[in-house]
Amino acid sequence: MSKSSETVDNNGFIIPNNDQDPVVDSPAERWLNWLGQTNLGKCSTVITLLFGIYVRWNVGLNPYSGQNIPPMYGDYEAQRHWMELTLHVPMNRWYYYDLEWWGLDYPPLTAYVSWICGKIGSMFNPEWFALDVSRGFESEESKLFMRSSVLILEYLIYVPSVIVFVNWWLASKSWQKRRLAVLFILLQPALILIDHGHFQYNSVMLGLTVWSLNCFFYEYDVIGSVAFCLALGFKQMSLYFSPAIFAYLLGKCIKNKPQGFILFVKLGVTVIITFAIMFFPFLDSVEHISQVIIRMFPLNRGLYEDKVANFWCAINIIIKLREMFEIHVLTRISLFATLLAILPSCINLGLNPDKHRLVYCLANSALAFFMFSFQVHEKSILLPALPITLLILDEPFWSSWFNNVALFSMFPLLKKDRLILPYFVIWFMWNWMGSFVQRDVKPVVLRYISWASYLVMAVIHFFDFNIDPPKRYPDLYITNNFAI
Amino acid sequence: MLKDLIIFSTFVKLLLFPTYRSTDFEVHRNWLAITHSLPISKWYYEDRSEWTLDYPPFFAWFEWILSQFAPLADKEMLRVDNLNYTSDATIYFQRATVIISELVLFYALKKYLTTNNMKNKNLLNILAASIFLNPGILIVDHIHFQYNGFLYGIFLLSLAYAKEGNDLMCGIMFAVLLNFKHIFLYLAPAYFVYLLRHYCFQETSIQGTKKFSLKHFFFLGVSVIIIFLLSFGPFIIMGQLGQVLSRLFPFKRGLCHAYWAPNFWALYSAMDRVLIVFAKRLGWTLNESAIGSITRGLVGDVNFALLPQVKANHTFILTLIFQMASLVKLWKRPSYKNFLVSLILNGYSSFLFGWHVHEKAILLVMIPFSLISADNIALFRSYMILAVSGLYSLFPLLFKLTESTIKIVICLLWFILTFMGILSNLNYKRNNIKKYSQSNESKLSYLIKIIENIYMYGFIILQFFTGIVHQIIYKDGKYPFLPLLSTSIYCAFGVIYSWIRLSVIYFLGKDDENQEVNS
Repeated sequence: MSKSSETVDNNGFIIPNNDQDPVVDSPAERWLNWLGQTNLGKCSTVITLLFGIYVRWNVGLNPYSGQNIPPMYGDYEAQRHWMELTLHVPMNRWYYYDLEWWGLDYPPLTAYVSWICGKIGSMFNPEWFALDVSRGFESEESKLFMRSSVLILEYLIYVPSVIVFVNWWLASKSWQKRRLAVLFILLQPALILIDHGHFQYNSVMLGLTVWSLNCFFYEYDVIGSVAFCLALGFKQMSLYFSPAIFAYLLGKCIKNKPQGFILFVKLGVTVIITFAIMFFPFLDSVEHISQVIIRMFPLNRGLYEDKVANFWCAINIIIKLREMFEIHVLTRISLFATLLAILPSCINLGLNPDKHRLVYCLANSALAFFMFSFQVHEKSILLPALPITLLILDEPFWSSWFNNVALFSMFPLLKKDRLILPYFVIWFMWNWMGSFVQRDVKPVVLRYISWASYLVMAVIHFFDFNIDPPKRYPDLYITNNFAI
Repeated sequence: MLKDLIIFSTFVKLLLFPTYRSTDFEVHRNWLAITHSLPISKWYYEDRSEWTLDYPPFFAWFEWILSQFAPLADKEMLRVDNLNYTSDATIYFQRATVIISELVLFYALKKYLTTNNMKNKNLLNILAASIFLNPGILIVDHIHFQYNGFLYGIFLLSLAYAKEGNDLMCGIMFAVLLNFKHIFLYLAPAYFVYLLRHYCFQETSIQGTKKFSLKHFFFLGVSVIIIFLLSFGPFIIMGQLGQVLSRLFPFKRGLCHAYWAPNFWALYSAMDRVLIVFAKRLGWTLNESAIGSITRGLVGDVNFALLPQVKANHTFILTLIFQMASLVKLWKRPSYKNFLVSLILNGYSSFLFGWHVHEKAILLVMIPFSLISADNIALFRSYMILAVSGLYSLFPLLFKLTESTIKIVICLLWFILTFMGILSNLNYKRNNIKKYSQSNESKLSYLIKIIENIYMYGFIILQFFTGIVHQIIYKDGKYPFLPLLSTSIYCAFGVIYSWIRLSVIYFLGKDDENQEVNS
């Protein structure tokens, strides 16, 4: 970049003169411009982070999944129980211990992290994790502790990864654009509501995935693959991303011979070693490791649970697949459909392992899995949501529309958790900040379609509050409208 | 820009819905019920709940208006005997009313901004935002639950009118304000002096002399009386005036409120405790009954072991004396600027020396102070100290750990934006005179600056101590009053210091220097 194409503004930041993006006057942009004018530009990240804490903490004050609902409670109890379990039960019994009460069904890294949390929590009050007695334990302090653990883990892992990502991804744009992206990504409603409302630790898995992306951007492929293995080791759901990552790395290996071959070997070895370390305690017998795998991939549960916005459920309204075919046939159909969906973009990526394409392919592959895979949870929409949100400034229209629809599809879940108010507040706040509803797209007709979908969402919400019967079907329609 | 502010602040406040509610929430629910379900004649007599109506009639009418909308949310909250009723709908409704009533504050700020001819628009926006999103208002109104926001709105409206020269409206607004919440009586002397001197004495053609204008005095007096009649009239007719007044002014409560507002009496009590230790060593005679009375941090009559006892009239006289000091200067030269500073100083005196002062009253000082905080660096630094001590002293209101993160985060955010915003704008203007002032900065003022900075950073240590260390060291609950005590005392130093500093600026500043630096 020549000197004349840059200027230095009064914050000492460099602004490229070729910032060609169309100007959209959204409140967030006005905010950042104003910060720049008042010489506060350098504080903008701190302000965003502090505000992020504020939002997350307030959401956390709301009920969590299964609060006060015996006998089984919900995901919160599951996480608490795993802390209790890993703390007291010997390691070789972790995947066997009382499988009826929230048995462990995530890979070992979750278990290790739970163990750490349990250890720290017991320093405050051992009652929270007392073996067996603490089932369904609910107190204000323990809720505070659990919520804090989500927040701290998120700020340690996910938030820095996003900042690093944005700094690379938008390096050629102005600092305002970068801060803008960080603001939008970190205030993404879906993740906040699920992690800090419903209660989960998705941000750890998503954060590790973004770290792996960051490593790939800076050519630290080996470390990147370690990061991704850790993500896989934390939640097996990140398998949704694996085709894309695999295609990228494979493509890279093939492209530059002979370094590519060395890279291939290095990667292979690293991956194997990482998995070996993670699964080490469970490798003592074939039976043990297969128990772990069965817990992680319960194939006998059926093709779908009722309320997920994916392809099979939508079809279920018309064609009752579950009644037509047997389970192993359905498994094969879903596998085939998934493969079909991911192949085009992955092959594309494999042939041209380009960093930008990687993120798009990630979105594709995750979405494909979501649409066609087996036993999909509605919370899994967070997985395609991640790369799509990371693209918020590149594709503001699609990214925001997807996020809005994704959030809407999770509404029944959030409603059950009595998170209705924060749902609306954060949703509207995020959209208002980015003026997302007014974003342009070609062809213009898509904009109207999106508005129509928002209208339908509003109508459904309205009816929801006034009429009781289940309205799960309509939200499936919406998501599918988009997908197709 | 202002539109963005109000939308954003609404989101911020909506997010606070699930936070802790104090007993004040039940107080207002009770008042909704009383005003809705009972005839006026019973309003000030109803005492089934312990939270009897103790605000002036306009506020009662306000609650009555709100109660007309309450059935939309939940009819049950309006039953007088439904004590401590907290359904979700009730909470949403009441919290929403706080947000909506704050539109008054927003309107007042907008009006104040337009009458202000400060050249730096940025600074104006910062000041407005710093008032509208003042963490004190967020903590006290939107979490703890009260309705101060719109009251400060009326207050600012009266100031806006005064600024543009419309003294009659200024007086009327203040009268209205008094009839909403009588705590503003503390500011009445300043209003009285200013309005009398500025409005009722008009400049004559002879330079410097003023002539008493009977016409203006008459207008002002009649308007104020009309307002009071509108408010108290129904009760006078019913012969309930005595009852109403006894509800409004309950002097049975103790010298210090439950959480020890950081005022002079807190230091006085602390000094007493310290002296007790010495006295025991030296074998002096003590007032034995007093030793245990104040350490528990509860409301009640306070007895001092060594220092002289303090009665209500003592505090009243002390407050008046200090208020008089600033009013003399106001009488001599009744400019708007002097009026504003007198108001602030009056607020200070009443906070520091008053009887049964609530720490929430610090907002009474902080909010008008924000208006002049950006005028010059000296005022700014005094404001900074006040803001930090004042806001920190509100922390004990949210004693639960669940709100701890919120209060720290919003204060941090506010400090960064307000302080650095004002500072950077001040420096920007001062750039051309920077060299001059740096060479003239004496060693003393440099030392003062360092001490101030250390004091402010000390709050971090204080929070660390009261929040974490104390729980760990005294796990079995010994010395439960220690965090509150240290908070009160530490903040008291800050409040008193800023008071002295402001007084110095006020009394020593020449009148033409009182003009705003940037206008």
